[in-house]
Amino acid sequence: MPGNHIDVSRADELIGFITKIRDGDPTLVEVMGMAELLASTLQPYFKRLDTAIYGEFRQIAQYIEKTKSEIGSLQANDMSEKRIPEAGMELDAVVKATESATDQIMESAETIMAADTTSIDGYQEVINGEVMKIFEACSFQDITGQRITKVVETLNFIDDRLSKFASTFGVEDNEVRLSDEEKAREARKQEQILHGPQMDGEGVAQNDIDAMFSGDDTAESAPVSQDDIDALFH
Amino acid sequence: MSVDLTMPVLVVDDYKTMIRIIRNLLKQIGFNNVDDAADGSEALTKMRSRGYGLVISDWNMEPMTGYELLKEVRGDESLRRTPFIMVTAESKTENVIAAKKAGVNNYIVKPFNAATLKSKIGTVFGE
Repeated sequence: MPGNHIDVSRADELIGFITKIRDGDPTLVEVMGMAELLASTLQPYFKRLDTAIYGEFRQIAQYIEKTKSEIGSLQANDMSEKRIPEAGMELDAVVKATESATDQIMESAETIMAADTTSIDGYQEVINGEVMKIFEACSFQDITGQRITKVVETLNFIDDRLSKFASTFGVEDNEVRLSDEEKAREARKQEQILHGPQMDGEGVAQNDIDAMFSGDDTAESAPVSQDDIDALFH
Repeated sequence: MSVDLTMPVLVVDDYKTMIRIIRNLLKQIGFNNVDDAADGSEALTKMRSRGYGLVISDWNMEPMTGYELLKEVRGDESLRRTPFIMVTAESKTENVIAAKKAGVNNYIVKPFNAATLKSKIGTVFGE
C-alpha cells in the first residue's frame, strides 16, 4: 500500500505473530514482539505525521514571534508612559497659555475702556501701555502653535503604528464595548444633545438660525426632517 | 434700544472668561445690573431667589446643562416667562430645533460679536 505510508514488507511476519497469538496463550515476549513489529510497520506513517505537526508548530511559532515583534513596534509602554502623558501636558499648557493671554488682553481692554479721558497725554500713555501688553500677550500664539504641533506628531505616531499593526494582522473592528462610565457619558451626551463645537461649515450658520426664529423657511440650513420643521411652525 | 437697561440679567457659563466677555458686551450695550452663574443648577437657585429680566445661557455645562435649565425654567410657573437666550458652540440643527421646542427666545452661535448680542436682545424684547 504505497499511499498509506505503512511498511508492508513485514506483513507476513506480523500475520505469523497474530496466528500464533490466536492459536494459544501468548507470552509477554510474543505480545511485546508483535507490538514492536506493529510500531516498526507504522514507523513511516508516524514519521510523516511528525513532520506535518512540526511544520504546523513552526508556523505557529513564527506567527507568535511576528506578533510579539509587531506588538513591540507599537511601543505601547512608550505611548502610555511617555508620549500620551506628554501630549496631555502640552494641551494643559496650551489651555493655561490661552487663558492667561485672554485674561491679559481683557484686562488691558477693560483698563482702556475705563481710562480717564480728561487729559489727552495721560489717556495716550494708558493706551500705549495697554496696547503694548496686548501685543505681548498675543505672543502666546507662537508657543501654543509649537505645542499643538508636538501633540499632532504624537497622534500621527500612534496612528501610524496602529494602522500598520491592524493592516499586518488584518484586524477588523469589533463592536465597541463601553465601560459603565463611558456608557453613562454617552447616554448623557445623547440626552442633552451635546456635540461640542462644529468645524467651519458643519454647523448651522447664525443667519439660518435667525431665519428659523423669524419664520423664514427659505433660508439654507442643514437638512432636518419635515416633522421637525412642521413642529417649529405650529 | 427701548429695552429696560436697568433690569437684572443673569449670565450662565462655566467659563469665567466667557462670563467676563458677555458682561463687558452687556456693559457696552448699557446693562449694568448683571449677575452670573457657573451652571444650570446655580442659575436656577439664583433665579428662584431673585427675579431676572433676561437669562443668557451657555448649553454645555456640568452638572446641569443650559438645555436642562431652559426646560426647568419653562416648567416652573414663576419663571416660565423669563426671556431666555442660548449662547453656545452647539450649532447642529437638532440643537436649535430642540432649544426652540423647549421655548428658547433666541439662539446665538459662538463665537459672536456685540452687534449680534445686541440685535438678539432687541429681537427678544420686540424691537
